[in-house]
Amino acid sequence: MALTAFLAELDDLARIGVAAFGNARDPVALEAARIEFLGAKSGRIKAIQKSLGQVDKADKPAAGKRFNEVKLQLEAALVTAEERIRQAPVASDEPAFDITLPGRRVRLGHLHPITRTIDDLKEIMGRLGFSVAEGPEIEDEWHNFEALNIPRSHPARDSLENFYLATAQVNRPGGEHASPLLLRSQTSTVQIRVMERTPPPVRIISVGRVYRPDTADATHYPMFHQIEGLLVDRHVTMADLKSVLRLFAAAYFGGEVHIRFRPSFFPFTEPSVEVDMSWNDVWIEMGGAGMVDPNVLRAVGYDPEQVSGFAFGLGIERVCARRHNVTDIREFYKNDVRFLEQF
Amino acid sequence: MLVSLNWLKTYVALDMPVEELTHRLMMAGFNHESSTPVGDDVAIDLEVTSNRPDCLGHIGVAREIAVLWQRALTLPKAAPQAKGKPLNTLASVVVDCPDLCPRYTARAITGMRVAPSPPWLLRRLATIGQPAINNVVDVTNYVMMESGQPLHAFDLERLAGGKIVVRRGRQGEKLEAIDHKTYELTTEMCVIADRDHAVGIAGIMGGASSEVTAATRNILLESALFDPSAIRAAARRLNLQSDSSYRFERGLDPEATDWTSRRACELILELAGGELASGAIDVGGSPPSPKPIVLRLPQLERILGIEVPATRVREILAALGNQLVSDGHGHHAVEVIPPSWRRDLEREIDLVEEVARIHGYDAIPEDVNVPMAPSARTAEDRVLEQLRNTLTALGYDEALTISVVDEAWSRTFSPWTDAEPLQLSMPILRRADRMRRSLVPSLLAARRTNETLGNLICELFEIARAYLPRAGELPQEDLMLALASGGDFLSVKGAIESLVARVNPALELTVEPARFDLFRAGRACALRVDGELLGYLGEVSDDGRKAFELRSATTAAEIRLAPLLDRAVLLPQYQSQSSMPAIERDLNLVVDERVRWSDLAQTVRSRAGALLERLVYRDTYRDPQRLGAGKKSLLLTVVLRQPDATLTGELADALRDAIVADCRAAFGAELRS
Repeated sequence: MALTAFLAELDDLARIGVAAFGNARDPVALEAARIEFLGAKSGRIKAIQKSLGQVDKADKPAAGKRFNEVKLQLEAALVTAEERIRQAPVASDEPAFDITLPGRRVRLGHLHPITRTIDDLKEIMGRLGFSVAEGPEIEDEWHNFEALNIPRSHPARDSLENFYLATAQVNRPGGEHASPLLLRSQTSTVQIRVMERTPPPVRIISVGRVYRPDTADATHYPMFHQIEGLLVDRHVTMADLKSVLRLFAAAYFGGEVHIRFRPSFFPFTEPSVEVDMSWNDVWIEMGGAGMVDPNVLRAVGYDPEQVSGFAFGLGIERVCARRHNVTDIREFYKNDVRFLEQF
Repeated sequence: MLVSLNWLKTYVALDMPVEELTHRLMMAGFNHESSTPVGDDVAIDLEVTSNRPDCLGHIGVAREIAVLWQRALTLPKAAPQAKGKPLNTLASVVVDCPDLCPRYTARAITGMRVAPSPPWLLRRLATIGQPAINNVVDVTNYVMMESGQPLHAFDLERLAGGKIVVRRGRQGEKLEAIDHKTYELTTEMCVIADRDHAVGIAGIMGGASSEVTAATRNILLESALFDPSAIRAAARRLNLQSDSSYRFERGLDPEATDWTSRRACELILELAGGELASGAIDVGGSPPSPKPIVLRLPQLERILGIEVPATRVREILAALGNQLVSDGHGHHAVEVIPPSWRRDLEREIDLVEEVARIHGYDAIPEDVNVPMAPSARTAEDRVLEQLRNTLTALGYDEALTISVVDEAWSRTFSPWTDAEPLQLSMPILRRADRMRRSLVPSLLAARRTNETLGNLICELFEIARAYLPRAGELPQEDLMLALASGGDFLSVKGAIESLVARVNPALELTVEPARFDLFRAGRACALRVDGELLGYLGEVSDDGRKAFELRSATTAAEIRLAPLLDRAVLLPQYQSQSSMPAIERDLNLVVDERVRWSDLAQTVRSRAGALLERLVYRDTYRDPQRLGAGKKSLLLTVVLRQPDATLTGELADALRDAIVADCRAAFGAELRS
């Protein structure tokens, strides 16, 4: 066979094959073209390979070289066509599918913002080494007042300043007089209960509902949540208090935070302070704090000459309202799902 | 407490800007509420904490300023000249109840002329918002606002017998006060009387009958000390608060009565003329002087975390009016006798606070190394988080409702106790005065609120305590989870099953019928885990919906969390899984309507034994024509697997046939193909 004839045949095959691959519109057509031109058993490239044997011996190197070039050219055309078809939109007889339709969404519920705030605060205090302690919401006068250095004559014990139970009483251990019961007015009651049963050191937070007879308005509600921290050990000072509060505020609010103390008065701490933190160059009230009053330490059987401690308390609603820009704390208890869904 | 800037200047030099003054006062414990210009004066509103009644007068505030700026404090002499008749020829004082009135000081002025006050006095009173009455009453108000000690001037001519009797009120006794309202006195109250009648409610308000008027010529001036608790109780009982009661309630300087009396007499003589009777009445006299207090200097560092130099400590304590006792304590301690006006200073820690307050809390560092300590989340918090996350994934929003309900709601549902709910002595909100025994009524109310607001989808849960009474003990406060849903019985049951499985996948939840007025008959159950009562679930009955004005179908449930907390698996243990293939067989069993799924499932389980990996309920099918009346078809799938060998189709078929045979024997079940 003459070289020229063989080469002409090869060129024809290359032209037709590349065109066939180029014209294939879908995987089926392309597969048919592949079998026709590159099929291992009876592809046209196979057939032409057989006629390579009939080329004159002297022309064989040139014919073989060209044969390989055409084979590679066809294979490349096949790869290109495959790629093109894979990326092309699928034409089909199915009805048009609208990918912009809304997905089948499962309705998610939402945690109450107060719960989220409590979780955040507990988590931060946990990292600072404070464990969570719980106590009853309905208390006797010992835990809500006396042990907290609030004697009978103190105005805070007035029946109009507290929610007393109308009838129920609790028998004090040791057969003393029965104590009336009331809704706790602060979570410090938990501190007393923990210290009564645990020798120092104590490092706890207590979180929960407290009750005070305030008229409900945008910033007050007769029930609210409080978080209180307590650290009692040897050598605990107000510098420790300030430092823990700074770490706490920095972790919760982020950025550079400073703590300021203003003198205040609470029966269960002395010295007592109001705590402010500077955030974005503004002083913001955080809550109350102080060193545990020696009378409180004595009431739970601690020796104030041996140990000292600090305590602090924050109103959760106030923190939460500020964090989420809630302008009326009554929203927290209305339970309008349009409110709840925002958190 | 409103103070006038110009007034303060009469006691202490003030040249600093007002902002600096109020800031420093705030940092010493007197929060600054506002500053308002009044003419050429400034009214400064300071918050005075309840332990500092000494600062309920301008002198007290001026003293703080003098201490903070280390300046001199100048006080009026209060030395009126007594040229009149002896006081005991004009008036007498008897105190019948020294427990309520430990000290009573009186002076008399005769022949004065009651008239309007001069401009300087009117301006002072105007700055602090005190209405002007006449020169005598204005002076008593002025001096109260100066020293903090309330005063009262009686028209001496109108005191029967020229006599003051300080006694308890009498049963049925009434008094018209200067506000022209009539008050009923009680035996708990301290009353100022003349020979015949009550003429004042001690420490709260004087009586109209002996009020100083334009016609008054002679007065008896009272400057007394009353028991704080008694004044507070009386003011509460009468619902009558005054500047006077506010001060007495907080406990006043027992030594101030005489100075204040002299100071007022001095000003009345100056403004209204007249003669001061010679001598004074002082019933009760001075109390014992305050006890000395020792401040060990190392205590400052132990409590505050900073050192304060000993000289500075002495300086601060002396400036505050403490008398330094020269002593044998050397350099390690300071001993002081606190001033009579600082009854809040009794203990060493009180002095530590005073030193810190004046030295300034800014000196305390905020970056010391606090020792680390281990802490772990409580198991309860971890389980509650699992439950809350599961509930939100199930589409429930978390509600937060108040712990009390009114009586009517309280009665609607109380599955945990038959005891009457704990009742408060006053409601917390509106009529809500019963501690709730269940959260369900509160959640149904929240659901109603949402219906009213047009919120169509409202799936709520709450985790909170129910309060179950116990005689002679603190009530039991059980943590409850309540659900209120627009879904049906099975959807809420499914939610509870998911919760139980989340906490412990091996726990089996069983049910039994339960009856409550709140729930539809036949659509309510009690829930148990391991045989222990977990809670109740039911579709709310028509009557129940009516009680809460609910329009839409509602299902409610409440479970105690203790049984789940006790059984929670917080540390799951690995179990190897078989790699052998599983085979499924579907069964379609026709049974009588009365056959319960739980019974049938039990039969399937016991026959399939160890090969049963899962039993899946698919559906219930009813068709009287094809199945017959009173029949239903239960569709179920058994998933079978042999852990260590391939289960053959033949074996699976044989097992299926055995299951059908057992179900036929037990329930007359027929396989439907």
